Amino acid sequence: MTELLSADLIVPAGRAGSKEEAIREAGALLVGSGAVDPGYVDAMLERELTISTYMGSYLAIPHGTNEAKGAIHRSAVCLVRYEEPVDWDGNPVRVVVGIAGVGDEHLSLLSRIALVFSDGERVQRVLDATTREQLTAVLAEVEPA
Amino acid sequence: MSTAAATAAPAPSRGKQAQVRVQRFGAFLSAMIMPNLPAFLAWGLITSLFIAVGWLPNGILGGFGNADDPGSWQGAATQLALADDGTTFQQYVGMVGPMVTYLLPILIANAGGRIVYKERGGVVASIVAVGMITGSTVPMFLGAMIVGPLSAWVLKKVDSIWAGKIRPGFEMLVDMFTAGILGAAMAVGAFFGFAPIITGVSDALGNVVSWMADNHLLPLMAVVVEPAKVLFLNNAIGNGVLVPLGAQEVVEQGKSLLFLVESNPGPGLGILMAYTFFGIGAARSSAPGAAVVQFIGGIHEVYFPFVLMKPTLIVAAILGGATGIATNVVFGSGLRGPAAPGSIIAVYAATPRDSFVGVTLSVVLAFVVTFLVAAVILRASRKKDLAAGGGDLAAAIAQTEANKGKSSTALDAMAARQGGAVPAGADAEPGAPAAPVRSIVFACDAGMGSSAMGASILRDKLKKAGRADITVVNKAVANLEDDVDLVITQRELTDRARRHAPSARHVSVDNFLSSPVYDDVVREARAEAEAGATERSTS
Repeated sequence: MTELLSADLIVPAGRAGSKEEAIREAGALLVGSGAVDPGYVDAMLERELTISTYMGSYLAIPHGTNEAKGAIHRSAVCLVRYEEPVDWDGNPVRVVVGIAGVGDEHLSLLSRIALVFSDGERVQRVLDATTREQLTAVLAEVEPA
Repeated sequence: MSTAAATAAPAPSRGKQAQVRVQRFGAFLSAMIMPNLPAFLAWGLITSLFIAVGWLPNGILGGFGNADDPGSWQGAATQLALADDGTTFQQYVGMVGPMVTYLLPILIANAGGRIVYKERGGVVASIVAVGMITGSTVPMFLGAMIVGPLSAWVLKKVDSIWAGKIRPGFEMLVDMFTAGILGAAMAVGAFFGFAPIITGVSDALGNVVSWMADNHLLPLMAVVVEPAKVLFLNNAIGNGVLVPLGAQEVVEQGKSLLFLVESNPGPGLGILMAYTFFGIGAARSSAPGAAVVQFIGGIHEVYFPFVLMKPTLIVAAILGGATGIATNVVFGSGLRGPAAPGSIIAVYAATPRDSFVGVTLSVVLAFVVTFLVAAVILRASRKKDLAAGGGDLAAAIAQTEANKGKSSTALDAMAARQGGAVPAGADAEPGAPAAPVRSIVFACDAGMGSSAMGASILRDKLKKAGRADITVVNKAVANLEDDVDLVITQRELTDRARRHAPSARHVSVDNFLSSPVYDDVVREARAEAEAGATERSTS
């Protein structure tokens, strides 16, 4: 889990105020970690135009298109928590999980995130978390299914 | 679940079950051959046009030309061949040989594998088919029809050993290597273990024919020759056995009827004409074209699939073939040399003046007898085939049903319950409304994120409900196949998903993370398991 979601990819208090800014913020984290080329961020914005990546429970998972997989050097996931909800196509989003996935190695991490966000009590603890440690602790509680 | 229904059902259903099984086998053969008819026709056209004795002989396409000739077409595939004077030369490979040797058997194996185990089955079947083809010099159609479905079945069984037990994220890797390794191993097994058996069968049939010719059991030869023909052993029997024997007789008597045993175009025409008038669906509409290629072009192979998809028709071909041989015996007629290919024109070209009547009658009578018998057979099953939905469609339906019936390895209890409780008459009814859910697919646009999340949540919920045996996977909508029971998609994608998997149940969700749909599915699965348990305890 820590390989794909390293400490520098977890941001407990994001700055973005809009959906586009939030996608750019998540994208910048992925680019900064060397996982993707800068072009991947454009693919993330493009992907968002087709179907919203809003998942429910204050979570959105922006990611690139199938065609943009070439811009990915290695799979990585970033997690940005927002104190104030970001308007995501009319839905309130407090947690943005940016995904760069090649192959299947990111799926077990996604599985953890999904299980956390399908559990109301755990969602609340993620929303209330203010540090990286608190965020990773919640994720570590579930076993990927 | 009334116990009355459960106990009353088995008695009348045993005979019916056997009948259903035979029908399914027929449908299975048909589903293996039917989708490949265009390839047979394409090959038939290319062959009748471009071989040395064809209508537009072409050494490059037909594969008999010398590529060493000055000014000849360069760059095409060639192989070393032996010339009449004992020297070697580069001969064009052409399309005729590779298509019949590799393409057609691989296509059949692929179709057979696909029926048993979808795309994966088709891929493994094709791999194994190559092992079999290269393991022998005999055409491998019979081998393809056996090995194709068999290897797919083996893969399916092996997959089921660790289905659902692989750590998420490794499924793709394990799937790839299972199929790759198993395919390679089975290809080697087919090469050494299976191909020699088919070679042996071919040799044995040739020996039987040769023995019959020696013992003057001439009309009986049709009993061996016709079935061997439709298994594409026509050249092995014709050129390998009958032509050499015929050549001996020509030396003694100036002509031989043995040349006409395999190459008589009458029986094939009878089969194809019977399909033209009494067949249904795609087979009916492609039969007339095939008849031209067969009777005029002399490429008998195009009618073989029509027999293979309804094997009882072999009776018609045998009776027609025997009639043709008997006619030649009565009239003392025969051919001066081999009629190759078995076109009516090639036949007349080899007919001596005094045999004209006998040869003509042997073709005509063989045609008439085959046509009449085939017509009766096709008429008799026509209503049933039509009722089942017509031709290939019927096959597809029957096959889907058959697959559904046996795919429940993990759920034997439920399958048994179904078999006992459903009235015997209902087993032809496809897609019973309350079909139990055994496989669920989450589909999203790219298959990268949201569907994976939804799948993990439902998998987790099912596991907690004690139904870890239900498989839950995620896919991109574009990769969706029609082999699942339930498809869950975001509302915007449901219509697209429905096009990819028309026979599955479809459910839309607005929110992959928490949807009332998940609880419905879990409740349904739990209820099924409990009903299964009660059923078992009461019976």
